[in-house]
Amino acid sequence: MNIFSSITYTLHAATQASIYYYPLIFLGIVAFVMLALGIRNIDRKVFAGITFAAVLISMIMILLDPYDEVVVGNNALLFNRFTMFFAVILIISVLYIIFPAIRGLKSKPEIFYATLLFVLIGMLVSAFSYNLIIIFVSFEAVSLGTYVLAGYGKQKRHLEASAKYFFTGTIGTAFTVFGLSFFYTATGTFSLTSEVISSSPAMLIALIFLLIGFGFKLAIFPMHQWAIDAYDGTENSVSAFLSTGTKILAFMILIKIFLVGFAGDYHDIFLLFVILSVFSMTYANLAALSQNNLKRLLAYSSVAQAGYLILVIALVGYTGIGNVAYVAIAAGMFYSLVYIFMKGGSFLAMNLVNRESVSVSDVAGLARKSPVTALSFAILLMGLAGIPFTGGFTAKYYLFLSLIEGNLWWLAVIAILNSAISVFYYFRVIMFMFWKEPTSEDHFNLTAYSKAPVIASAVIMVALFFFFYLLPTLNGMAPGLFATMGGI
Amino acid sequence: MFMLAIFIVLILLSFATFFMGTRAGVFAKSSAALILMLTVVYAFLNFSGTGAGGFTSESTYAFASGIGIYFSIGVDGLTVSLLILSAVISLIALLIANRKEYTASFYGLMLLTETGLFGILLSRDFLFFYIFWEIVLVPMYFIIGRYGGERKDTVSLKFFVYTHIGSVFILLSILTLFSYYYSYSGVFTLQMSTLLNSAFINNSGYLPLFWKDFMLFGFLLGFLVKLPSFPLHSWLPDSYTTAPYPATVMLAGGLSLMGGYGLFGILLPIYSTINITVLWVLIALGIISLLYFAFTAMFQMNMKRMMAYASASAMGFVTISFAAGILDSTLSIRSIELSGGIFQIVAHGIIMALIFSVLYFITENTGKENIYQMGGVHREMPWLSSFLLAGFLASLGLPGLAGFIGEFSIVVGMFQTVGWLIFFVILAMIVTASYHIWTAQRSLYGAYNENLGKIKDASRSEIAILASVTLVIFVLGVYPNLIFGIISAYVGGII
Repeated sequence: MNIFSSITYTLHAATQASIYYYPLIFLGIVAFVMLALGIRNIDRKVFAGITFAAVLISMIMILLDPYDEVVVGNNALLFNRFTMFFAVILIISVLYIIFPAIRGLKSKPEIFYATLLFVLIGMLVSAFSYNLIIIFVSFEAVSLGTYVLAGYGKQKRHLEASAKYFFTGTIGTAFTVFGLSFFYTATGTFSLTSEVISSSPAMLIALIFLLIGFGFKLAIFPMHQWAIDAYDGTENSVSAFLSTGTKILAFMILIKIFLVGFAGDYHDIFLLFVILSVFSMTYANLAALSQNNLKRLLAYSSVAQAGYLILVIALVGYTGIGNVAYVAIAAGMFYSLVYIFMKGGSFLAMNLVNRESVSVSDVAGLARKSPVTALSFAILLMGLAGIPFTGGFTAKYYLFLSLIEGNLWWLAVIAILNSAISVFYYFRVIMFMFWKEPTSEDHFNLTAYSKAPVIASAVIMVALFFFFYLLPTLNGMAPGLFATMGGI
Repeated sequence: MFMLAIFIVLILLSFATFFMGTRAGVFAKSSAALILMLTVVYAFLNFSGTGAGGFTSESTYAFASGIGIYFSIGVDGLTVSLLILSAVISLIALLIANRKEYTASFYGLMLLTETGLFGILLSRDFLFFYIFWEIVLVPMYFIIGRYGGERKDTVSLKFFVYTHIGSVFILLSILTLFSYYYSYSGVFTLQMSTLLNSAFINNSGYLPLFWKDFMLFGFLLGFLVKLPSFPLHSWLPDSYTTAPYPATVMLAGGLSLMGGYGLFGILLPIYSTINITVLWVLIALGIISLLYFAFTAMFQMNMKRMMAYASASAMGFVTISFAAGILDSTLSIRSIELSGGIFQIVAHGIIMALIFSVLYFITENTGKENIYQMGGVHREMPWLSSFLLAGFLASLGLPGLAGFIGEFSIVVGMFQTVGWLIFFVILAMIVTASYHIWTAQRSLYGAYNENLGKIKDASRSEIAILASVTLVIFVLGVYPNLIFGIISAYVGGII
């Protein structure tokens, strides 16, 4: 009876869950089909179209899935509204770069797009997973894929960036594995539940090692240097993906691991994340002030943005699980959504300039060439700076609101001063765009492929400003993060 | 409802201006005139004769009611007078703009600035108040950066970042009120009328003392930057000098208006929560502003820069009147004091509009801004010189002109509170009078500077604009009750 019922239970769970696997299986099949099609000499636009359609279909499939809480295995995979929200925004981050990437694909486009789909599968699995081993494996799948994407392109600097990314990424992986083993020593499980709240000192070691490991991927302060070089060196669309997709993924994994797996160590989490976030924001904003290379400037700004994002973790560590924590997590979710558009859009705006490395003075005179594009880019930069009538303002508003509600006023002051400093370098770019004389006449690449994503993200950016009512919805989703902890 | 309609019309007109091409100038000018007319009609219908100063209309539209976000607008005695002021200065600023280089986007941005000012004054919801507060900076930044004078790029950046840092503290204060009001009443709301509740703010059981101070500090910092007051002014001279003259008119009237509205519209309703020490610090800052800016203005060579300091100096009166008015114990004097402060904001805006407009025409015709490069220009341009003199006289507070009313009621009112400190104020007034007269003497009268060659006087349309502004200043000077009544009704409703 016992064995029989457990088997039926597992079977039941699997059949229930199978509907959630369809998008993953579908993406995998499309990827292999594309690799097979690659033997024929098919135009790269066709591959882009196939990928776009496949990713869009998988997004619709996920959106149509029921929102019930379904757990597979021993918390191996969890399907609820929280995980699905992140799955959808990760899909958006991929969807975003498919067409803009065409420009850099001189040969073998099928491999690029198939890799992108494999990366997406890895992302989705780790979005759904609450088991450290599965998170680790799927995250490595993502990392390996992105090493390939980063090296795509025939130039030496692409390879250099990819190599740098690969080496630091591997070091990060090593730390992660080390942290995992300590986690297992302390708790005896890889599952992210609070069933085992361990007070073993090994837990602290695990915390620090996991933080370093995933901190590399999130590119927060002491672990950020690779990101500056890698974003600078890779193809624009790939750097857009690296700074949005993988970053949001790492953020989501950090939330899961630290807020769920380390529920007994909230005080340490608070301290560590406050320090990291304050240093990330301050250092990156100050470093960006003196940057003349536009891509490096954006890279530093994404380090600073990661600093804002992990404020959420610090805040939850401070207040504990409760209503304020849900507001904070909802703010983090909204920020992630907005971040993909503003950061991805600004990196894709680099496509507007036909230069190897884009410096700030290269965008000078863009307003004269194409006022709409310049205005769109300006809106994206204003979003990053948090000026009203952009989604960036709404996102920052909720973030600071949750900080104040959690009584962390000094952190709010630091964050808000940082965001005021950042206005300086964003507006410096706007100033160049609108009022400086162009360095040469014909270095702009104003084709539809380079203009459309910028304009589209600017429109979405403005639209997101009005999505105030999204927050109550997200607030309802946020408790889903703690679903495996039971009783909360 | 009528006001909301005006506001929506203004938004539409300002966006339409961008697409008007060569006719944008005429379109923007007539739009600004239309808006002024409608606002005046609205004010006349709602506020004339009855002595009403409270809210005549407040309408609320749910935006995201679950988290307390409503779009709600309302008009009271303070805001209606400031609305008229911002409509007037926008109209003046647009009317005097006549250069060829001012394209459609210039006029559109100017109207957008006016939209922002209207939004600030109309919003009765803190979130939208803050949003408009921030959004005013953006068109101003683009105007200074694109059409400004020397070093326009760095100055516009400085202007934006400096005033933005001031603003973000307002956001923190708003969030503080929002989150503590929730624990006080269990309701999420950002409505000004609900949050600005002295009983709630003074209740240290719900709003801890630290958070109360934090909140007041944030608001004061944000407002004093815009006003500007003494230690927070360094964006002002550069921005005023670099901005094109029409934008300077907007800056002088509009940004000071924002700071003044912050003090009298946001902080005055909760005056009983403000600590006495803070009020004395404000009085000290006001007196330092008066004196320091007056002396700095005295030694400026550049007329535009001098008037920038003069404008900041005049705003010192506003800070003093706010703090001293709250400190006053006699109700009638308190009312005079506070109303004088609000009147000063209005008068200052219009007077500065006149002076900067005249300076604009003089600079256009002579190509000079420096006091010592002029001299005796009255011989060649009697009209402009006379208007400038009129502006100067109003600015130094000559009885019979608008500047006098505000200063007089402030000085009379504050004597009871500040005691012997009044001597510093009198000193500042003497210094103000002397540098105005001295400047007029050096630049307008005396021997004609022959290096200037042949210069032409103002055209007829320019004279018409300047004359009507002067007329407004004169009328406000001899019949201040035109708006003083509304203002004191508003003040009376609060204290």
